[in-house]
Amino acid sequence: MSGNGFEPKIVGFLCNWCSYQGADMAGTARMHYAPNVHIIRVNCSGRVDPSFILKAFREGADGVIVAGCHPGDCHYTSGNFKTMRRMPLLEHLLTDFGIEPGRFRLEWVSAAEGAKWAKLVNDVTETVRRLGPLNWKERVREPAHELVTQ
Amino acid sequence: MKRITIDPITRLEGHGKIEIFLNDQGEVLNAYLQIPELRGFERFCEGRPVEELPRIVPRICGV
Amino acid sequence: MPDKLKLALYWAATCGGCEVAVLDTNEKILDLAAAADIFLWPVAMDFKYQDAEDWPDAFIDVCLFNGAIRNSEGEHMAHLLRRKSKVLVAFGSCASFGGIPGLANVANAAQVFDRAYQATPSTDNASQVRPQTSVQVPEGELTLPSFYDTVRTLDQVEDVDYFMPGCPPVPERIWEVVGAILGGQLPPKGATIGVTHTTVCEECSRRKEEKMVNGFVRPHLVEPDPERCLLEQGLVCLGPATRGGCGARCLKAWMPCRGCYGPTDRVTDQGAKMLCAIASILNAEDEASAKKSVGDIADPLGTFYRFTLPASLLQRAAIPHFQH
Repeated sequence: MSGNGFEPKIVGFLCNWCSYQGADMAGTARMHYAPNVHIIRVNCSGRVDPSFILKAFREGADGVIVAGCHPGDCHYTSGNFKTMRRMPLLEHLLTDFGIEPGRFRLEWVSAAEGAKWAKLVNDVTETVRRLGPLNWKERVREPAHELVTQ
Repeated sequence: MKRITIDPITRLEGHGKIEIFLNDQGEVLNAYLQIPELRGFERFCEGRPVEELPRIVPRICGV
Repeated sequence: MPDKLKLALYWAATCGGCEVAVLDTNEKILDLAAAADIFLWPVAMDFKYQDAEDWPDAFIDVCLFNGAIRNSEGEHMAHLLRRKSKVLVAFGSCASFGGIPGLANVANAAQVFDRAYQATPSTDNASQVRPQTSVQVPEGELTLPSFYDTVRTLDQVEDVDYFMPGCPPVPERIWEVVGAILGGQLPPKGATIGVTHTTVCEECSRRKEEKMVNGFVRPHLVEPDPERCLLEQGLVCLGPATRGGCGARCLKAWMPCRGCYGPTDRVTDQGAKMLCAIASILNAEDEASAKKSVGDIADPLGTFYRFTLPASLLQRAAIPHFQH
């Protein structure tokens, strides 16, 4: 279903203390990786309310990544435990809505894991490229108001 | 031919429309009852846990 | 003697429960009849659509519009009654958020028709008949409204002055709101009325201890303590994510809240908020146990968005070609 030349638009919520630093490290180390992620820096992955992810998909994201510190390493001690508890349920909910598994990904990326970040972005970009555009507004659009005929 | 439309039918729960066709003598040629509503409980109850059904299906009719 | 208030009550995709809730004000209905004239109320009076079409604009002082917008007739009446009414109230959860009929947003029109008119075990429809918007009979043309793929809330199709949630709104609150209307004391436009500004938990008299659970259970697997918070006993209850106003009456009847009063003032998506509430009380120290615990929840979409799917951020499940 992926069209020719489809470039996935991926939104990434990255925590300030670990993941954003890891992404920064990938940059300063001049690692080459897919340019498809639009990064939103949050102070903690626990700040990411599930409604942010739903809104990202609604507003045109083809994929969403949430990245935080490894459990046990959170700058705020337990913020990422909240993330860890929320996201499995959100994944289940997204599938119920018809948003294919693979479009949303939760990963733990430390400040030293620039390579892990680069690989994560490449993986998600390729998965979403294969799935094709989500185009949520099209998926819920009402066609011309006709009753379904036989 | 004359046509009488009763829309909506009233004093009951639900939507309905009646079309009555009379000939030139004023006799009823035909009458049609239409139900211009459907909500789809038959479809959206699928997949819900069984213990939730007694909380969903009473909303078929609140009267 | 001041003019009597002109009222209209209309129902779109509805069950009639909101009408019954108005009647459940019991003898107060007589006070209402003394202060107001009702010009449209299909459940109780014989006025027709043509009567409403014939009113001058802004004729009606207050229109209580319940039911979700499911088809073109509901949408037409929403536009008509908006034009003919000074104040339009989304009355009940269906008009405010989509309500139970909003659950049909897990499917589309074709799927609903296939099930209702073909696949149900008691249906015999060998010629695969489906309703049509227009049909020729020997005497002329018969028409039906067109059935939309997506259920909408009233404010998604028309400008709404007030929202009064509840499935149905409880009669005591209805009477408070009627009193405010008769006394000319409505809040600024856009307000949600007949509600509190906190959650059902604040109205619930169950004992709250520590909110930390190891998992969730389906009700047949546990005999709950009748006085303790149900959520703390592992029974999914939407109290923390639901606006108050109902008096927690389901909880008094030993039933966990299912969120019919919708989200609070500060929340757009009730389901996402409930998901957060559930996650907050989960005693999971690692990913494996977090994943296992949430597997206990059988139907997150249908439970967290029971009454509010059309009003949610995603509004509906994707219209398939994707089936899972």
